[in-house]
Amino acid sequence: MSELLSNRLSRLSALRPVRPIEAARQSVSNDLPASAGLLEEMLGATTQQTAYGEHLLIRQWHSEPALPAVSPAALALLAPDAPPQAADPEQWLFLDTETTGLAGGTGTYAFLVGLAWVDAGGLQVEQLFMRDYSEEHAVLTALAERMSERRVLVTFNGRCFDWPLLETRYRMTRRIAAQTPIAHLDLLHPSRQLWRLKLGSVRLAELERGALGRLDWDRSGDIPGALIPQAYFEYLRGGAPGPLVQVLRHNRWDLRGLAALAARVLALLSAPEEADGDALELYGLSRLLHRRGQTAPARRLYERALEAGLPAEADRAARRELAALAKRERDYDRATSLWAEILGGTRDGLDAYEQLAIYYEHHARAPQRAEELLGEALEALRRAWQEGSLEPARYRRMRARLQHRLERVSARTARSRRKLFDLHGGVPIGEAGNSKK
Amino acid sequence: MYESLAVRPAGTIEAVREALEQLAARDPAGRGEVITDVRHIPARVAQCVPMPEWVHPGLAAAYGAKGITQLYTHQATAAECVREGRNVVVVTPTASGKTLCYNLPVINAVLENPDTRALYLFPTKALAQDQLAELYDLNKRLDQGNGQPFGVFTYDGDTPADARRAIRERGHIVLTNPDMLHTGILPHHTKWTRLFENLRYIVLDELHTYRGVFGSHLANVLRRLRRIARFYGSDPVFLCSSATIANPGELAERLIESKVEVADNNGSPAAEKFFVLYNPPVVNRFLGIRRSYIGEATRVADEFLRRGMQTMVFANSRLNTELLLTYLQRAYPPAVGKAEPVRGYRGGYLPGERREIERGLRDGAIRGVVTTNALELGIDVGSLDAVILAGYPGTIASTWQRAGRAGRRTGSSCAVLVASSSPLDQFIVRNPDYFFSSPPESAYIQPDNLEILLNHLKCAAFELPLSPQENFGAVDLPLLCEQLAQAGYLHRSGGHWHWTQEAYPADTVSLRSVTSDNFIIIDTTAGDEGAPEVIGEVDFTSALTTVHPKAIYLHQGLQYHVDRLDFDQRKAYVTPVDVDYYTDAIRYTQVRVLEVAADEPAPGPARSCHGDVLVRSQVVGFKKIKFFTNENIGAGQLELPENEMHTTSFWITLERALVESLPFSISERQSGMFGLLHALESMATLLLMCDRRDIGTAIGERPPAPDGAAAAPASPPEAEISSTAVDEKTVKEFYEPNLYLYDAYPGGIGFSEPLHRAHRLLLQRTRELIESCTCKQGCPSCVGPAGDTGEHTTQAALAILEKLCA
Repeated sequence: MSELLSNRLSRLSALRPVRPIEAARQSVSNDLPASAGLLEEMLGATTQQTAYGEHLLIRQWHSEPALPAVSPAALALLAPDAPPQAADPEQWLFLDTETTGLAGGTGTYAFLVGLAWVDAGGLQVEQLFMRDYSEEHAVLTALAERMSERRVLVTFNGRCFDWPLLETRYRMTRRIAAQTPIAHLDLLHPSRQLWRLKLGSVRLAELERGALGRLDWDRSGDIPGALIPQAYFEYLRGGAPGPLVQVLRHNRWDLRGLAALAARVLALLSAPEEADGDALELYGLSRLLHRRGQTAPARRLYERALEAGLPAEADRAARRELAALAKRERDYDRATSLWAEILGGTRDGLDAYEQLAIYYEHHARAPQRAEELLGEALEALRRAWQEGSLEPARYRRMRARLQHRLERVSARTARSRRKLFDLHGGVPIGEAGNSKK
Repeated sequence: MYESLAVRPAGTIEAVREALEQLAARDPAGRGEVITDVRHIPARVAQCVPMPEWVHPGLAAAYGAKGITQLYTHQATAAECVREGRNVVVVTPTASGKTLCYNLPVINAVLENPDTRALYLFPTKALAQDQLAELYDLNKRLDQGNGQPFGVFTYDGDTPADARRAIRERGHIVLTNPDMLHTGILPHHTKWTRLFENLRYIVLDELHTYRGVFGSHLANVLRRLRRIARFYGSDPVFLCSSATIANPGELAERLIESKVEVADNNGSPAAEKFFVLYNPPVVNRFLGIRRSYIGEATRVADEFLRRGMQTMVFANSRLNTELLLTYLQRAYPPAVGKAEPVRGYRGGYLPGERREIERGLRDGAIRGVVTTNALELGIDVGSLDAVILAGYPGTIASTWQRAGRAGRRTGSSCAVLVASSSPLDQFIVRNPDYFFSSPPESAYIQPDNLEILLNHLKCAAFELPLSPQENFGAVDLPLLCEQLAQAGYLHRSGGHWHWTQEAYPADTVSLRSVTSDNFIIIDTTAGDEGAPEVIGEVDFTSALTTVHPKAIYLHQGLQYHVDRLDFDQRKAYVTPVDVDYYTDAIRYTQVRVLEVAADEPAPGPARSCHGDVLVRSQVVGFKKIKFFTNENIGAGQLELPENEMHTTSFWITLERALVESLPFSISERQSGMFGLLHALESMATLLLMCDRRDIGTAIGERPPAPDGAAAAPASPPEAEISSTAVDEKTVKEFYEPNLYLYDAYPGGIGFSEPLHRAHRLLLQRTRELIESCTCKQGCPSCVGPAGDTGEHTTQAALAILEKLCA
């Protein structure tokens, strides 16, 4: 390269490294990164031959977790659209990938595809690893074969991340067809419904600690997810394989966590009313049932969660949702008492004001009472706004809604006052209304 | 054939005549120095051909229902080209029915084969929205008639996530912009399999806007697009449309790197128009000082506005837009309870605000609008009665394009060019024939600018691994991939280069600038919600001159004082103020030659060269200039970081024999050279299709050649460092000066080589410019203002030119 050209290149900001990097070490023997052989040894891996070349394969069997039998009802709660044969855990293939980034798009690769299935009373884990980009087609071929053996995909956030990413990878090959699963059970959303209130976060590691109780493995020393792409890039450039060994262990832990989580979710869903978790878990379960239209068991579980004692905010939310169920079953006694218990300047409290006002306006035929409640609601809303407990957009929306309703109710009461005035031969009814207060 | 005066709508023609009389009266001597020319551009009759037989009956009926039963000649040419699978660029003026040129063949192909897909690219989101309405209308007519409706959608940053899947599957025609193609579509091409597998047409509207940096970026985005199309086995035809420029075919071929036919047989009709050249009255004849053209443009606009004519005023910079807006809004305050009758419109305003202004213009609620080039493009704001150009837009093409905003459809209208004191403006108004008879300019791009190309190479690798056998511009691809690998961006495996970063490369590459650094402007006074508010942003290059500390930044007619510039965080903190001045930055520049690409002897003796240079520049201070009078009322010094840029330059070397032959003192020679450079810059912007900001100038000593051979490439010793700072010229004499005209963008965007090629024409035109100037001792219009130049500047500059043109 001429001096001028190298001079020119050195000035280009497009060639400035994102972070300082060491010069790459070239492998002497073949096209693979320098430490590919060492990595293979450290992992006890074998090379697997496919129609599209080789990749690394790492297999391990774990005695736990085991999966319980799956009732069709539990499956319907988990994935309403799944065909009945998806209830057979023998058909389940747990999947978790490690990728070169989280951004998605065509330039993000899944360099490790972790798979697991139930076998011999325990869990068989199989990891497909590409030692270099050139082995991607081999990994995808092996994955398609595994997926043709077990047709139900089970993931954690795989519906939005892992599976679309893999579909992109298959399309990029232009020749290897992706196997379409007969059902895709993604545990992220059920887990969120069940445990977000309890745990705050529903990251898989969080769930393992908080929702699954003690497991026999300890994730201390685990590599943070954010460092995983860099670990792979450094390995590709000839860096030491140590960090990648950690990545493979991380992936195994995630797969076992995923299987354990599936077992726990299924146990809860198979016999929801026998659940004996704490109040927040019961509340989460009732919400899940509620969303799936199982209103009767949902109602019973809401009541149980309330009895068990929920934190203030969850308590209000549970009463509000229970009230909505009661209202739908025309159980106005229960609904109105629930609403009355949570009136206030909170989101649920303001909603309760509105619901009660609707009840008094349309069912109890007491528009004056509705008018009073709406007045109180606006006052509570104003106080909440002054205290800064409401965001501006919600405040404005809520105020507009309440005011609109109040105007309508007031017009109605005014009309009925006039009507009564006429009926009563000109005696102002307004005084009667006032004396009620 | 033409409408006679008698049948013209009396209102407009009378109003135009009255307004012009008022303006002419500003020239007390009646010497024709103010209104230097009035041209009547007669109406043009339509030239039509029958609708081609291959047009689907449903589509013909849909067009028929809109009153279109025949095609203009250029429409037929374009449609036939596309039908035969040839790339085409349609070159016609504003409002000549160019959208039909691409809609007709594309929709026809969709009706023949519903698998057909087309991608329309518009330079802005607003233009795509505008076109969508037209396509919806056709679709509705097809649906009601005997044709299948087709799927048409816009896909841009505002498209809701849940609508995107449907667009990818069902959109026969997808309307988007280069930025969205770059960040949203290409990096996710697997989601667009259906579109790419069936991609038969790509429409590039407003092609002439893709020049300079933007064009160089787009050419690379199109390289990526064609690469992805090939991956899915498709080879689309390109349909381009352009305003009138000199080299539409060449520009199109450079952009799409394939053969393109030019369809410029315009057959559309047009209504008559008056074009007026207006030179502000002279205030001081000796110094060649004229009234402020901004003030005069305000006055001209006022003459039209007060006669109820809807008027659009174009300014050439954000600053002037804001100044004009301030003056006009003061003259036309809103009626009680009504909206402002005069509004501003430029980039940096929020989209909602802009839509509201567009509506206001169409329904007539807004009587006047002050804009930058933002309204030059085909956004439909209806037809206006008058257009005022405050300052020459820099190019003949742009001038006609802007003037075309007046009377787009029918009726008499008027366009007035108000000249500033800049050399170019003065040249134009004093040589009306030059303007009215010259062909418009050429547009240049440099897709192989390494900085730009490398960024797109990263994006390309992200989209699809790169093969060493691929073509991606005229560069050494394996070498560049190797460099990117060393920097950690790529990794070679299985014979291909793969992307090895977590980050998404397209996100960090902006198509509108070479580097994507923008400064945001923050108003630190508490807003309604109690938090500081971001009021706008400026790009890196203009940041140093517009938001330096103590600058007055203008936004929506309001003044803000820049309290602090956080250079590292790219933030400027401002507070609103109300002062009677604005600020103008002073810049200091040095140029060093890195590599000579061409060096040819020229008369003089002199040499005409172009090549790579390193430009160091620094904003060292600023002037405070009073509103209305433009007095200099103070100055300040600044300590801002130096900016270093590797770019390309054209330069003229004046050899020693030439310098010594000049019958002037040393300081007069130096003044002459600076004066000459000032005039050269003006003419260069005229010859190239560029903005004055696209070119920088400097004078420096010619680097000594290693062994005396003049053509040898220069090694860069310190001695050649030079500057444009005016006081420097009196310190020491240049032995053999280089007069540099450099590309003001890192890496260069293709101006230097054409200037080198055209240097004789450039010198000839520059000589005409200085010779035709009426000033005594130099003025802003020729060699620079008399106060800033030395004695006999004009004479010295002309003496140099005489040698150079020999």
